[in-house]
Amino acid sequence: MKKTCIAMLLAGGQGSRLYALTQNMAKPSMPFGGKYRIIDFPLSNCANSGIDTVGVLTQYRPMQLNAYVGSGQSWDMDTSDGGAYILPPYLSAGEKGSWFTGTANAIYQNIEFIDNYNPENVLILSGDHIYKMDYSLMLKEHLNRDAAATIAVLQVSMEEATRFGIMNVGDNGYVCEFEEKPAHPKSDLASMGIYIFNWPKLRQYLIEDEADPESSKDFGKNIIPKMLANGEKLWPYRFSGYWRDVGTITSLWDANMDMLSPQLINLYDESWPIMSNWPACPPHFIGEDAEVVHSIVTEGCVIEGKVENSVLSHSDVVKPGAKVMYSVLMPGAVIEEGAVVEYAIIGENTVVHAGAHVGSAPDGSEGWGVATCGPNIEIKAGAVVPAAGMIYTGEEV
Amino acid sequence: MSDFHGIIFAYGAESELGALVGRRTSSSLPFCGRYRLIDFALSSLANAGVNNVGVIMQQDYQSLLDHLGSGKDWDMSRRHGGLRMLPPFGLPEYHTGNYLGTVEALNAVSAYIHDIPQSHVILMHGNLAANIDLEAAIQQHLSTGSDITAICSRVAPSPSGPHFVAGTDGFAKELIFDHAVGGAGMASLETYIISKHLLLEMMEQCKKTNRLHFHRDAMLSYLDGGGKIGIFMHEGYAKAITTVEGYYSANMDMLDAKNRASMFPADRPVRTKNAEEVSTYYGEDAFSSNSLVADGCIIEGSIRNCILFSAVHVEEGAELEGCIIMKDSVIGKNVKLNAVITDKNVSVSDSTVLSGSPKMPYVVPKDASL
Repeated sequence: MKKTCIAMLLAGGQGSRLYALTQNMAKPSMPFGGKYRIIDFPLSNCANSGIDTVGVLTQYRPMQLNAYVGSGQSWDMDTSDGGAYILPPYLSAGEKGSWFTGTANAIYQNIEFIDNYNPENVLILSGDHIYKMDYSLMLKEHLNRDAAATIAVLQVSMEEATRFGIMNVGDNGYVCEFEEKPAHPKSDLASMGIYIFNWPKLRQYLIEDEADPESSKDFGKNIIPKMLANGEKLWPYRFSGYWRDVGTITSLWDANMDMLSPQLINLYDESWPIMSNWPACPPHFIGEDAEVVHSIVTEGCVIEGKVENSVLSHSDVVKPGAKVMYSVLMPGAVIEEGAVVEYAIIGENTVVHAGAHVGSAPDGSEGWGVATCGPNIEIKAGAVVPAAGMIYTGEEV
Repeated sequence: MSDFHGIIFAYGAESELGALVGRRTSSSLPFCGRYRLIDFALSSLANAGVNNVGVIMQQDYQSLLDHLGSGKDWDMSRRHGGLRMLPPFGLPEYHTGNYLGTVEALNAVSAYIHDIPQSHVILMHGNLAANIDLEAAIQQHLSTGSDITAICSRVAPSPSGPHFVAGTDGFAKELIFDHAVGGAGMASLETYIISKHLLLEMMEQCKKTNRLHFHRDAMLSYLDGGGKIGIFMHEGYAKAITTVEGYYSANMDMLDAKNRASMFPADRPVRTKNAEEVSTYYGEDAFSSNSLVADGCIIEGSIRNCILFSAVHVEEGAELEGCIIMKDSVIGKNVKLNAVITDKNVSVSDSTVLSGSPKMPYVVPKDASL
């Protein structure tokens, strides 16, 4: 059966600017916002937009991602003519296989997979953004505008524009120029890294780009400029709403804190559920002397200490006398008696032993930052992890 | 593949549960913020590798069907076997009235029992709040060569259940119904491992003699006839939910860490329908103490000694003490509730004051607006 649109989700990125957090895990599988992994957002957006076939391109540390996505059942994608498919790089007979060398090359290497579904259009997504978006509206504009490619864009401030790929738009409304991180931006429309391509056209460009030894095989750097140069119709799809790139410790912490403000991103909206795949745990328990304010808490937690302005994930434990403030606890973190965690991100199953102190409140100094402990670490009793500290798995603290 | 087949009795709706079972059976009563009672029987079976299970239901089973779905959440949506819903079928006499006992319920689905491909059956009641290590019970059943193994507890799960008394060989010697001597024996959790062959014989025998009760009729005469009934002691929490007071106190029991540890051990998780809720949000002025809270709640008021199911909204100034608030209920501003059970989707308007007592909790029925 011919499909109007399938999605390809680029989930191979390492997320190297997340340091200890992505030491053993690809960024898209990073726990986020208490109940989710980052990849839940694009996958749920697909499901809610009626896209039932998603290829998930993995490369860096994919084990967790493979297990988590499975057959896509959690996103209702385990249908007979669709599904979520994990697509790692592979070897072909008689050929030398290779890693994905760029975003465009990753799709190039999976042309056969896409051809299998014979779609009219392909939606390209990345696995490291937090947002809710109805791709079906974008597809509708893409078809109405008879575009070869439609690029989702977000209006940003002119100062911020220097950090993004910027789309300059002509009088007819179509994209006329693309500039990567311009020093003097001419427009404030930033590319969100979300594209819909006409598949036969993209297929052709991918094959040509692959043959070009000068190309870095990247959508933003190569494919889009080549299409523009050839006079293809590129339409900017204007998205307004919450959208965050969570590529750095600060942005990851910020976006987690945003989960405390439903006016920024409303996850309670039943018409657009963000679905995830966690085991069911008992309801969380709030102890006799616990104090929980302005925080989100989820199943399996046992809170007997103080939790303030924080995001907790499933099965976290905060013992009596412990304090968690302005922090993100990933699943299974344990904060022992009298320990203090403030302005910090604590990785999965990490234990902060009694009396230890992780992070500190902003003091206005330049060196200040969110303290980070990777997963599966034991922070020893009484230890101190300073502001902006970065503790890797396997490190003795 | 497990050679054991689970049968869960889920048809009962004890009248002492009042409005709580107005549109459901006791097996589908919401429990401990997240679960339905039947989850415990299903999970006990699933955790012992028993994933061929029949659920006997008779009336008001819509809520049960909604909850169970295909059985996927208990890994019981299988290519072969899996979860089977057993409403009355075939025999018109079973469509009216209530099943008078477990034997009648079994006979109503006798065609199904006949066709069970496994050689042993595990009988359980859907209203029992207990996480039973059935794997250990099965091992004991097989190693002792018992015809029947009765799962028992030192603490009676309900005031009026049968007790076994064991002989020196450890096998049951007596079955007594007088709970005045409860301390003398082992309280039956009415959970039995029995060979399919023997179960069918008992069903047939009862049908011929027009007897209805599994214990009084089938088990007692089997024991008197020299049958070998082994006893497996369940050491953890167990309570059969048959009254409003019992329902209330069993929920409150879950505020105790020891009881929770027994009900939710890490190696035998309790599985339930995937709720797909967001996290619970505690507001700037929220107060919470000694409470169990499911996901998707918004807590802006105060809760103490409470059980909150998912997506409950406690608005500012509301004070809840010793309450059980079921899914989707909204508790308005400055409301004061004490020992109140609100069923699903109840809304309590601002400044309402309601009070019950632990012995007689105030029950607000499903969908009510106060």
